[in-house]
Amino acid sequence: MASVYLLIPLSILLIGIGVWAFFWAVDRGQFEDLERASELALEEDDMPTAAANAARVPRS
Amino acid sequence: MNAATQAAPLLEGHWSSESDGEGHAIFTAEGIHCANCARSIRQTLESLEGLRNVDINVVNRRVSVIWDPSRLSLERILRQVAAKGFRPVPLVGEAAVRAQLQERRDAQKRIGLAALGSMQLMMYAAGLYAGAFQGIEPAMAELLRITCLVIATPVLFYSGAPILRGALADLRRRVLGMDVTVSLALVLAYLASVFNTLRSSGDVYFDSVTMFILFLLLGRYLEMRGRHQASQLTDALARTLPDTAQRIDRSTQGATRVPLNEIATGDWLRVGTGQVIPVDGRVVLARALVDESLVTGEPEPHVREPGDALLGGSINAGAALTLEVSRPPHESTLHGIVRLLEHAQSERPRLGLAAERMASWFVVRVLILTALTAVVWYLIDPAQAFPAVLAVLVATCPCALSIATPVAIAAATSRLAGLGVLVMRSDAVEGLANIDTVMLDKTGTLTAGRPGISHIKLQGELSRERALAIAAALEAQSQHPLAAAFRPFASGAIVCTDAQEMAGEGITGTIAGSRWRIGKPGVTLSDDHGQSARFTIADEIRDGAQHTVAALKDLGLRVQIASGDAAANVEHVARTLEIDLAGAALRPEDKLQRLRAEQQAGHRVLMLGDGINDGPVLAAADVSMAMGRGSAIAQTAGDLLLLRESLAALPKAIVIARRTLAVVRQNLRWAAGYNLAAIPLAALGLMPPWVAALGMSLSSLLVVFNARRLLRIDAETTSIPATTSLD
Repeated sequence: MASVYLLIPLSILLIGIGVWAFFWAVDRGQFEDLERASELALEEDDMPTAAANAARVPRS
Repeated sequence: MNAATQAAPLLEGHWSSESDGEGHAIFTAEGIHCANCARSIRQTLESLEGLRNVDINVVNRRVSVIWDPSRLSLERILRQVAAKGFRPVPLVGEAAVRAQLQERRDAQKRIGLAALGSMQLMMYAAGLYAGAFQGIEPAMAELLRITCLVIATPVLFYSGAPILRGALADLRRRVLGMDVTVSLALVLAYLASVFNTLRSSGDVYFDSVTMFILFLLLGRYLEMRGRHQASQLTDALARTLPDTAQRIDRSTQGATRVPLNEIATGDWLRVGTGQVIPVDGRVVLARALVDESLVTGEPEPHVREPGDALLGGSINAGAALTLEVSRPPHESTLHGIVRLLEHAQSERPRLGLAAERMASWFVVRVLILTALTAVVWYLIDPAQAFPAVLAVLVATCPCALSIATPVAIAAATSRLAGLGVLVMRSDAVEGLANIDTVMLDKTGTLTAGRPGISHIKLQGELSRERALAIAAALEAQSQHPLAAAFRPFASGAIVCTDAQEMAGEGITGTIAGSRWRIGKPGVTLSDDHGQSARFTIADEIRDGAQHTVAALKDLGLRVQIASGDAAANVEHVARTLEIDLAGAALRPEDKLQRLRAEQQAGHRVLMLGDGINDGPVLAAADVSMAMGRGSAIAQTAGDLLLLRESLAALPKAIVIARRTLAVVRQNLRWAAGYNLAAIPLAALGLMPPWVAALGMSLSSLLVVFNARRLLRIDAETTSIPATTSLD
């Protein structure tokens, strides 16, 4: 039972690390694209990308 | 003219314009969150000498001002707004984008902390609740309480900061908003919990505090996201114009690239093929071909002779052209449309204002009830007074009530996205459910925006096939966009040699030894002996448009066309689609007038459009939908954005919107019912605060799950009649 007295304060430390990691991720823009990500799936797959177009041009 | 050239930091990035002795500017005021803030800004600005007009949009926080430049400056106006505690931010440009980004990130951090904190606190609280029934070591209870205090404190003061600040601002302005009762409950519960933690006995409510904050913040975040999307896209409209132009030195004929705001009336500019014409002007030197579809919505390019007017925002469809600037950049047609759009947006009647007024009424009653509870319990049993007061404040918290609408809208938004319909403004779903009239643009909406041959009138002995093949051979030599209509009829056997194109007149060429010509009048094919065939070129009606119109009528909606195109083309489309009401040759102002007339007759109108000239009409409609594949600009003005080249999603979207409104109504009824039932229990002391908080969370969860049903409804087979409006 005595270990609980150590584990509970430890949990505060853990949540502190969790919050720090989350803030770090927000500042890096990890959650900026939530909207566009949901729209990505709607775009047509057969849209040729610039890279695909470049590959199609025959090289001399 | 451009205020940004002055060195004042407050003015940095702000853009203003002067016309007819009036200064115009639009900016965002950070900190506006209710009708009262708007009123406070309006009052402070109207006290300024020389101010002509103020329009404030609470939802996207825009302030639009008109003033007399001889008596007032933009700097003075901005300073006045800043003095009231609102931060004026430029509308277009980096600062506006950065301000929104910061607001979003702050909100995400607040929600993250509140979510992690309340999850953790729920575990400690479970220990404390279990301990209260089964017995717990006093030292352990003490440790759990202190741990709760450590975690709840940053959640209240960091995550809950906007709520507490909102309450303080409300009190300072002597108004009662929803934030006031919520903050009262939060602060009372927190202080009592701290007090009980320090004296090591009694209940703590830290878990209720954090959970409460989390639910409130989630609701607000959903609302903010929608607001940001809408304003970002409208700002893009103003960014369509390039910010530099190629100015020609008339003596040396050399071209230099200069910023747009340095361009003055009388300058000569060069515009390359396919580039956007940056300002209004007149053609000089040579004949030009311009595509005005962005500004006027007309699909066919026009020939402009030297001396003819050019519209800023149109695209040079021919060879590089030279123009003489006739109006400074900020007075160009496109800027005019932007201003019209902004004005229409700020005029839009808001549902949110009604809710704000209701909140004040509600808050007064809650506070009276709370005070009554406190007094009565103090007379009966002072020890029970505080838990009862807290229970009343928590039980009356409109938590489920406040998320009832956002969760349903969010579920509908993701369901609609699956259909290819993006919701750009949060109350668009409600608007869509309430419409009774659909007004459709024609070009690019009902029609595909691709030219096709709709009719051929043969005048000589030439066969239909041969006439088409000869025309196709001639048109194959042309760069004209209408030439695309003939492309499917080209035959390898008939080849045109020695072709010549006269811009705006037609093409001549030699085919099988004889000289042929296609062109004016209309699109006529002729040889040396006379006219052989006359073609009518029209836009194709979209696949499924007929089905869509029928489905809309089945939903009990009135369908009509409002088009800028010629009467003959519009009538043809209207007859094919069985639409009785059709307006043709309408300018943007005419469309707006038509829309207003419908609205004044009590109709709620959905405008479906494409093209920048629809912007003002889209913005003034009760709800608007833009076709995503059309000119990129039309997307910016729509409340809803249709991503697919098919109209089939429209009736389905309306069905989903109506179902959403039904769910919202169920949610509101449940949440209000729960609050009403819980209040007497709480006031009578039958419900301890933690039960009140638990009940409220369960009530919120129920509301969320009810909203999630929207993700699974089948829009195909569901047909429900129009319902009356929400209020």
